[in-house]
Amino acid sequence: MLLLQLLASGIQTGLIYALTAAGFALIFGATRIFHVAHGATFALAGYAFLETAVAGVPWPLACLVSLVVAVGFGLFMDAFVYRPILRHEGSFFTVFVAAFGMVVVVQSVLELAFGRSFVSYSSTLTRATAVLPGLYLAPIFWVIIAVTAAILLLTGVFLGRSRAGIGLRALSENPELLRAFGLSARRLSALAIALGSALAVPGAVLMAATSGLQPSIGPHVMLISLAASIVGGIGSLRGAVAAGVLLGVTESLVVSILDTQWSESAGFVLLFGFILFRPRGLLGQPVPR
Amino acid sequence: MTAYLLNLATLSAIFGILAVSLNMLVGYAGIFSMAHAVFFGLGAYAGAQIALQVIPDVLLAAIVAALFAAACSLCLALPALRVRGEYFVAASLGLQMLASTAFSQAQALTGGIGGLVGIPPPMLLGLDVSSAPAFLVVCLAFLALCLIGIRLLMRGSFGRSLMALRDSESAARAFGKDVAQLKTQAVAVGCAMAGLAGALFAFQEAFVNVESFTLEQSILVLAMVIIGGVGTLAGPLIGAVLLLLLPAGLSFLPFIPPTDIGSVQQLIYGLAMTLLMIFRPAGLAGRSVGQR
Repeated sequence: MLLLQLLASGIQTGLIYALTAAGFALIFGATRIFHVAHGATFALAGYAFLETAVAGVPWPLACLVSLVVAVGFGLFMDAFVYRPILRHEGSFFTVFVAAFGMVVVVQSVLELAFGRSFVSYSSTLTRATAVLPGLYLAPIFWVIIAVTAAILLLTGVFLGRSRAGIGLRALSENPELLRAFGLSARRLSALAIALGSALAVPGAVLMAATSGLQPSIGPHVMLISLAASIVGGIGSLRGAVAAGVLLGVTESLVVSILDTQWSESAGFVLLFGFILFRPRGLLGQPVPR
Repeated sequence: MTAYLLNLATLSAIFGILAVSLNMLVGYAGIFSMAHAVFFGLGAYAGAQIALQVIPDVLLAAIVAALFAAACSLCLALPALRVRGEYFVAASLGLQMLASTAFSQAQALTGGIGGLVGIPPPMLLGLDVSSAPAFLVVCLAFLALCLIGIRLLMRGSFGRSLMALRDSESAARAFGKDVAQLKTQAVAVGCAMAGLAGALFAFQEAFVNVESFTLEQSILVLAMVIIGGVGTLAGPLIGAVLLLLLPAGLSFLPFIPPTDIGSVQQLIYGLAMTLLMIFRPAGLAGRSVGQR
């Protein structure tokens, strides 16, 4: 039964990872920007939700605040960090370091504002009850599954059917041709970043309600979404989701064999293995070397 | 006060070696490692064990630490040969996370979270160099050796091939350069110097634990290199001194509570990294792109 319990909590974390990784993969796929500040977006969204909800604002409104903060931060990064860098030189490493600097900045600002300790949002949804003998699940488990499924479905429909979604896919395949068709690559990449940042919100809210938040969640989530999008295959949304779940479940199941300290590293062993033996990931295209 | 300044100077020399060695990977070989603290740590543990188990000789500890770190650098060279760019950064991040856990779990070798304590005062070929000024001289000497070594290497055929590789791997290959061998050697040399810095660090602190070898440390060293100037000889040194002076300087400001100094320091260097990348990607000591 322990195994089943671990599997359930692994799926729960894995789905949150999947949502975040999907946002990261969407941004990277469309714009080729290695948006490591996605972790900072996640942390900001989580804290925005938590602080407004704790202050007594009803939760749907708090989610909205969190959405505004996340999208705002994403667009800020696009307009004031990525654009200026890409305008003149813009090697991959320059963009990466700039984004990484912002992750450090956001973490320290959160530390200064809210302290280093764990904070969490408690509701009746998080109280666990025994579903089977030995298996305890909180109602939020089902909420997470439903929310993830709905959001991923919506994103899929948007990318597959809507005009803007098709534009985003075109941007990832051939930005030059896009311009020839009279579409603005700048506007589309801003849209990709806004959309990807919005995808961090549900994960952040659910994380605040389940395992709680702490300023260092930013770098942690950044590492996870990076790992998930590489294990899944860079640019592949479906791959990132599958890899997110895989990472969550691995982290959780490892606890049954090894010390809990190894749980976080297990995901990175997986990442390391994929990079060495299958760099294209689960569902990605072959990597140019 | 003098003791404090001497300590700061010695740490600057040690982190100078560390930053210079990372610059060799990032600036000259184009290998963007986020796992440099791992090799710093491996060297520190190796040096500490030599001092504790065999003899507290700085030279011996430094050599063993450098060799050990170079041997372990294969963990970094393997992904560097397989993938580039984003993928390699991710792989090195993975290695860093893995190593932090391994350091805190391998009780027998590293002392776990508690670390290795009571490292005996350093000797050099029978001479006692445990006094602060003497040890500073030793560290400066090692730093000078590393700088001269890198200067010679980078001026010679090895360095030029390496930079050709960084600028265009396929062109270097077309000229008959053995890419795999060059990369492996560059990683080994860079990591060996990091190991050497680690051994000195172990003697300086007389205590090592996993706290000094985490992702935060890797980021700090990377920030030193980037803020100073990638691919220059003096840049990483300037960066190392600046970033070590920063917490010291901040602690003199009365309006910042001592518990917040760490966060304020991070805030400053994070901001510095982002702003430099936007306005001056070559770093403080670097030349702008057009002049290169």
